[in-house]
Amino acid sequence: MKIKAKTVVPGITEGEAIVSRTAISFTGGMDPDTGIIREPGHELEGQSVAGKILVFPGGKGSTTGSWQFYAAFKRGAAPKGIINVKAEGVVAISAIITGTPMVHELEQDPLKVIQTGDFIRIDADKGFVEIEKG
Amino acid sequence: MQLTRQQEDMFEGKKGPGARRAMEILVAYGDVYDAKRMIPVSSVHMAGNFPVLMDEGIQWLEDLAGEGTRVKVFTTKNPEMYDFEEADELNIPMAYQVRQNRIHDALKSLGVTLTYSCHHYLVGNVPRFGDHIAWASSGSQVFANSVIGARSNRDGDHAALAAAITGAIPEWGLHLDENRKGEFIIDAGRLDLENYGSADYKALGWHLGKAVGTKIPVFVNLPHDMVIEEIKGLLYTLTVTGATGLVHLVGITPEAMTVEAAFAGNPPPLPEITPSQEDVNRAYLDISSSSEEKVDMVIFGCPQCSIQEVREIADLLGDRKIHPDTQLWICTSAWVKTLCKRMDFLDSLRASGARVVADVGAADGPHLYLREQGVRVVAINSARGSYYAHNLFGMETWFGSTKECVESAVSGKWEGRK
Repeated sequence: MKIKAKTVVPGITEGEAIVSRTAISFTGGMDPDTGIIREPGHELEGQSVAGKILVFPGGKGSTTGSWQFYAAFKRGAAPKGIINVKAEGVVAISAIITGTPMVHELEQDPLKVIQTGDFIRIDADKGFVEIEKG
Repeated sequence: MQLTRQQEDMFEGKKGPGARRAMEILVAYGDVYDAKRMIPVSSVHMAGNFPVLMDEGIQWLEDLAGEGTRVKVFTTKNPEMYDFEEADELNIPMAYQVRQNRIHDALKSLGVTLTYSCHHYLVGNVPRFGDHIAWASSGSQVFANSVIGARSNRDGDHAALAAAITGAIPEWGLHLDENRKGEFIIDAGRLDLENYGSADYKALGWHLGKAVGTKIPVFVNLPHDMVIEEIKGLLYTLTVTGATGLVHLVGITPEAMTVEAAFAGNPPPLPEITPSQEDVNRAYLDISSSSEEKVDMVIFGCPQCSIQEVREIADLLGDRKIHPDTQLWICTSAWVKTLCKRMDFLDSLRASGARVVADVGAADGPHLYLREQGVRVVAINSARGSYYAHNLFGMETWFGSTKECVESAVSGKWEGRK
């Protein structure tokens, strides 16, 4: 399945999807050494987003999140692509400073059509997302 | 996005690599939100400190500074890890001193004013009504929008620093009139506000944050004579459990002198939320994470204590001594610490066993080494501080009023609600 999307950061990447229905804070919410979500009670708590295509509604919490994302990126623990329902400033800046391909405002709700384990290709140069069911 | 000639020069690298990188960040950022142009900013504030920057972030700042980049706009900086004057007295490990000094040197080279304060609007960074600014730090951002009437989005440090270097920010979100209208009414009229103190407003903010989310609430029936600490208590806590950037406090917020003004003409007939005292009481208990009576440390200053708050703590403590197994820290800016010296609060607090610590806030930096020094249970009069001390640094926390916290410091055990 191919869905049109709006580009936040250009680039092409592909990998396994990890989907969260709840917002994510990179400060406090994600371990920058491992990419493991560590916010108590978060639906991805204990799961790593490193090297995956991270699909979530948008950011929340501290505006310092872009520093923690940058550290995770440098340590190889960041997701390699981001799909948001609607980009929030801190997540958008995180993707911009690390050159992580990112899209938002998809023509279909990514939280409905993408499931954890699906194989995803983000083409943020042309502005679409391809989904292969896992 | 439309760029001016000067902005285009920066984008093309004619003003140096730092200005180019800053402009690249801002153009990409503006494109996400369909910004049509960049607008000048009059004030910038940076939030991050070592626990969030980490070594990679320090390197990022050093690379930027090494390129000879300088800020064009007055820029202040949030608290760091320890009091620059008391590194030895506080037993700060050398590894942290090296990090803080590297951040200090990089920011100084960039031309950032080294306030190390989160009440930067009390120490000289005061925008005017209607000014466009870039304030990272979610609490002070909502303060700027809601109390001063200056205009800032939830930008984050990289966007704020890029704005400081280029002198501009993309025009979107709260910079535009149409995005500053109230969205729903919160009626505070059922609460016993005559007897409210700062802690009660924090508990109220905690309760309401989730329902507010990223929306713009309009508070009615709040007393117009709320003191600044109470206003801060409400606003700073709303951005912990929620992520709002603007709150209309009718009668206080410059753009919301009336309900009609807050909604730009069409207020809804009924309030959407009418909090009860039970909601606030429940929030008090939700904020605390601890179940242990013994308190290792009482820490004030999230956001940093004003001189009025230091005076209140000193008055409550009187000439009593704090418990030998409990520490009491008052976190503030270097400027307020200087005032404390001048007014003899420093000596009287020291005689009680309390400590005034500058350049840090009670929510973050110090917990890094306090935890290593064996501090586990912390009492605090800030819901925001409680949240970050627990979630970022693993402290167990008690939340209560300033008086309850002072009494706990004297007895060594939690004296507030549990």
